[in-house]
Amino acid sequence: MSSADYEIKRYTGVMDWLTTVDHKKIGMMYIWLVLIMAIFGGALAGAIRVQLAMPGAVWEAVQAAHLAGKDAPFSLFSENRDLYNQMVTMHASVMIFFVLIPGFVGFANYIVPLMIGARDMAFPKMNAFGFWLLIPSAILMMASFFVQGGAASSGWTAYPPLSLVGAGSNPGQDMWILGVHLAGMSSILAAINFIVTIANMRAPGMTWSKMPLFAWATFFTSIIQLLATPVLAAAVTMVLLDRNFGTTFTVASRGGDPVLYQHIFWTYSHPAVYIMILPGFGAISHVIAAFSHKKVFGYIGMVWAVGAITVLGFTVWAHHMFSVGMPTALQAWFMYASLAIAVPTGIKVFSWLATMWGGTIRFTVPMMFACGFISMFVFGGLGGLVLAMVPADIQLHDTYFVVGHFHLAMVGGSVMLLMAMCYFWWPKMSGRMLNERTGRFVFWFMLVGIVLAFMPMHLSGALGLPRRVPVFFADFKIINHISTLGYALTFVASLVFVGQLLLSYRKPKVVVDDPWQINDVQQSFEWATSCPPPVYNFATVPPIPVADQAGRH
Amino acid sequence: MKSLFAVLLLCLGLAVHAVEAVPQPGTEPEIAGMTVDKAVATFHPDIFALDAQKRPVHRITDSFFTPASDIARAVSYNTWFNVLVFLPFLILPQVLLIYIIFKFRKRADGRKPATFTGNHTLEIVWTAIPCLALAVVSVPVWSLLWKMELPPPDQDKALVVAVNGKKYAWDYRYFRDDIEVGQDVVGNQEPLVLEKGRVTILNITSNDVNHAWYVPSFGVKKDAIIGRYTNAWFTPDTVGVFKGNCFELCGEGHGVMFISAVVVEPEQFALWTDLQQRRASVLKVWGAVRDGAGLDETVASYLAKDGSAAARFALRYWVALNLESQCRKPPQGKDAVTMRAAVAPARAALDRALTVH
Repeated sequence: MSSADYEIKRYTGVMDWLTTVDHKKIGMMYIWLVLIMAIFGGALAGAIRVQLAMPGAVWEAVQAAHLAGKDAPFSLFSENRDLYNQMVTMHASVMIFFVLIPGFVGFANYIVPLMIGARDMAFPKMNAFGFWLLIPSAILMMASFFVQGGAASSGWTAYPPLSLVGAGSNPGQDMWILGVHLAGMSSILAAINFIVTIANMRAPGMTWSKMPLFAWATFFTSIIQLLATPVLAAAVTMVLLDRNFGTTFTVASRGGDPVLYQHIFWTYSHPAVYIMILPGFGAISHVIAAFSHKKVFGYIGMVWAVGAITVLGFTVWAHHMFSVGMPTALQAWFMYASLAIAVPTGIKVFSWLATMWGGTIRFTVPMMFACGFISMFVFGGLGGLVLAMVPADIQLHDTYFVVGHFHLAMVGGSVMLLMAMCYFWWPKMSGRMLNERTGRFVFWFMLVGIVLAFMPMHLSGALGLPRRVPVFFADFKIINHISTLGYALTFVASLVFVGQLLLSYRKPKVVVDDPWQINDVQQSFEWATSCPPPVYNFATVPPIPVADQAGRH
Repeated sequence: MKSLFAVLLLCLGLAVHAVEAVPQPGTEPEIAGMTVDKAVATFHPDIFALDAQKRPVHRITDSFFTPASDIARAVSYNTWFNVLVFLPFLILPQVLLIYIIFKFRKRADGRKPATFTGNHTLEIVWTAIPCLALAVVSVPVWSLLWKMELPPPDQDKALVVAVNGKKYAWDYRYFRDDIEVGQDVVGNQEPLVLEKGRVTILNITSNDVNHAWYVPSFGVKKDAIIGRYTNAWFTPDTVGVFKGNCFELCGEGHGVMFISAVVVEPEQFALWTDLQQRRASVLKVWGAVRDGAGLDETVASYLAKDGSAAARFALRYWVALNLESQCRKPPQGKDAVTMRAAVAPARAALDRALTVH
């Protein structure tokens, strides 16, 4: 059969999107799925914040009403506290499995092949499969709100024996587990694809030492995803089997051990926090270099730092479990290993500052988000150092201090990074510039919102407020009101942001390849093709960079 | 002067409030310096009691920054020390960032951006200095960790309490005194009563899902896990009432799985131990008080077994405590004030029966 006889069926419109194997279209679909899920997860957080802002959430008021023989003051979940736990669980699950992890996967999908001068990912069909797995996964999790007993309510950590409650009658937890399986599978497929693509499909002349930092970070993150995600599947499968098939992995009365689950779960879930931020570390280096109009400082150190975080990230999981009663020597190991991660992280922060030093900094919206990220992340990271110390962690474990810490790292860190990446690469991806004034509004609302929402949580946690509770003592009322206000600002900013992305499609198209005028400091290929790039990305092999990232020829 | 007077008045008011439940001081029999009402208020305090302004009577917020044990004090100092060491690393990047934002902003002066891409000395410095800081904090935390985790000194004299978490309450068993406390007659959580200055060892477990026992002022938190015992120890060094919570998500009642702990002087602790050991013997009299029938006979038979002052005190204590517990958890449609008025005659009847026999 000659090639003339063979015709590829091409669809248009919706069918094109449903059948595409183009990494750019898949990346875009990832990003829109993430935006929808982020609004949904944000709404779940809203339910939590509204509950905590209500008069019926103050224990003294409930108690006083009880002693006076009256009904308790109204609160959203006073009749059904389990529903509150469902909100907490699903907020976390949605944000982790459908926003932060696929968010970075989506950007990497679009940008990394462009950066390294490839025409697509190594396995385009597997790429599409990975994305479409997320849809049934999300549907399974969302639908669980409507089954008997409601959604999973044992926290996103799903510790047994609590996650074994309702086995056989309430399928919410089982649906959650199957949803995690599918999301995990999607994650593994993406990881394999990135590793193969980055290892094999770089343009001629782009050696490892000339590779852009976002590609490096995606490479390391994919290694974490590939090694850690199956472990999560193992952990939740134990719970699934215990719930439905009479096994006793976690049933203490029949020889199982609930703590075993915790170890296996955190073996994934600690590295997972790096899955949720490392790609952004790489990407932000590009943003900072671009708008400081300087090449990135300490390229080799930056790569080694990400590599060190990748390796160390696997050795610290039990710092989430200091209160379960481990051998003291083990606690000491996990404490010191956790502290050690601060060193490569510090190298990155200082290198970003040094990249900015001496530059001519243009404060575009992505650059503002990058600066906001550095500030918030340093605060969140230092909170992590306080938590790494066992004696302090035993006090702060499962208090709002932890909630404040990881929200500063995940919202002040990862979400800020995703926003910076989106503003930075949106002209490339959609072919339209985003409005700078609206962007500045989004940035300031989000920054102030994050500060108000999450900084005070460190205080309430240190004062002894447990997390995942729908009622609290009156002393925490003001702190909770401040957090709710901060939440409202952030949520408004998020809605405006999504609206801005939608409206950008009505704007005129970008006609140049390099709308930010930054290609001379980037040394990556995505600014050497049109906005948006053609299906084949590059008509000819992109020009070979003359110097590596450290400036050596 | 005027404001000082106002503060004094306020203190007086609070003091009066704290003892307002005590009737006719001076005429009551006392043991270990406590009347029956004071004993009830001390050994089974209502941690959520509100004053007339609906403010909590007991300490507002317990945390490890308001330590009440040797462990909590050590942890508190250690944490402040660590925070002090970490603080420069929080401030320095923020200050640098702000400086850079203002100093290196692109201006119309046509300045060219610098072209350096690395500086080995600088990179070594900002790798080495954080390592140094971590080394500094690593040393004191090492000894504190082992202190917390190894068994305490003076184990033989220690108070050993088995803590059992269950949905959504706590049971305590004092091994050496053969005492069990948990929920009172209406299901209110009873406090963990501890002796000031005596090493306390907790053996914590659960009989359903995971819980975590934590009273912030004592500075120890351990998970309660079915099939396992976790251990913690501390020496309470301050008399008072301390609040805590369950700290591991355990279901719909997690948020209201409260803990209260009371630390008392040694002689009061001896009284409490004695009262607890007589708990079973007063059940018949309490049944008579509750049902409003057969009071005289049950009191007579109780006193026939042991007519000592301690036994009489215990009888009055338990009846007062049980009635007070009922008032703290009024049944649907009743309020605490009417409940208190309703139970007063029952106590008077018991006092009469005790004077007769």
